[in-house]
Amino acid sequence: MTSHAVNGLDDVVHQRVRLGILTIAHEARRVEFGYLRATLDVTAGNLSQHLGVLENAGLIAIEKGYVGKRARTWVTLTNAGRAALAEEIAQLKLLINRVEHPDTPPDHGRSGAGRPAPPRPGPGDPGWS
Amino acid sequence: MTSGTAFSGDDPRQLLSGTRELARKVRKTQRATWFPLLVLAAVTFAAIPFRYSPHRLGTCAATGPGRVCTVYPDALLVYWPAALVLAYAAIAAFYIRRSRARGVGTRVRPYVIAGIILALAMTGSLLWTLYHPLAFTLAGPGLFSALHSYPFAIGLALVLLAWAERSGALLAMALGYSVVVLVTVAFGSVGGHRELGFPVQLVTAGSVLLLGGIGFLLAQRPWQRAA
Repeated sequence: MTSHAVNGLDDVVHQRVRLGILTIAHEARRVEFGYLRATLDVTAGNLSQHLGVLENAGLIAIEKGYVGKRARTWVTLTNAGRAALAEEIAQLKLLINRVEHPDTPPDHGRSGAGRPAPPRPGPGDPGWS
Repeated sequence: MTSGTAFSGDDPRQLLSGTRELARKVRKTQRATWFPLLVLAAVTFAAIPFRYSPHRLGTCAATGPGRVCTVYPDALLVYWPAALVLAYAAIAAFYIRRSRARGVGTRVRPYVIAGIILALAMTGSLLWTLYHPLAFTLAGPGLFSALHSYPFAIGLALVLLAWAERSGALLAMALGYSVVVLVTVAFGSVGGHRELGFPVQLVTAGSVLLLGGIGFLLAQRPWQRAA
């Protein structure tokens, strides 16, 4: 019995906005709420909900503070978040590969038993540019 | 202002290309390569007058009719470490301020720490070269002298900045700069006329940094807020 690559996708991470948050937080040492809202084109309420989901899953850490008199919320990726993002990217690549090459032997889900591990560049890494 | 078109939909291809696009966007926001290059160019040019300060006499050795000694301008031994530590502190402060203003951090700390360590290590190494009899045989013209220069230490640290900013352009520039520095120091030392070649090295190194800084300034356009 084999599992489809779709089964390897994590519902917490496999969501447009949450994947975007993790990607941005991965690139930056830490990122501010306002930058995330503007870059991902979401409302403050919507972004707060997604941040809550990721924080509850232990994928990000949220730090609140002030810069002058302005309240700021900073988001940092945790080690679990880094691993979850890498896993999501790997699964997405696997899924694309399965769609583009349906004749290749089925994968073995997350275990990866019996097949070489998929290449894992940095999550969403466009390389040196 | 938004990336909604670049990062939308649930198609795996769209999601993947969207993450790449986001990563590029963040890096574009983070990059401020022009600032460290211009600061380091200023530090390098400002070192030139110190070159003409009284020289410190180091180890000497008899060579035929006379003797040869290692010498180094006294003031430069104080100027370089102090100026570089201040420069790296200014660069760190600039990136922190920029990070707060733009809402996105940069992993610039390793660059700043490495730059300061290299500056201090270079000073220790130069003092060793000046006073240790064993170093005298190594301190003559050539690659050893070239590696023992503050401009070369700046180049090494710039490679780390290229890694921090994931900038291929800066990596190419840092490597090119280091080669230029090595060549000018090596040639400036030929024939025992190091004191004549020394300002040439500083002028060349400073000019490369200045031109690089201006180039990155025009390319990165910090006066335009990243979308």
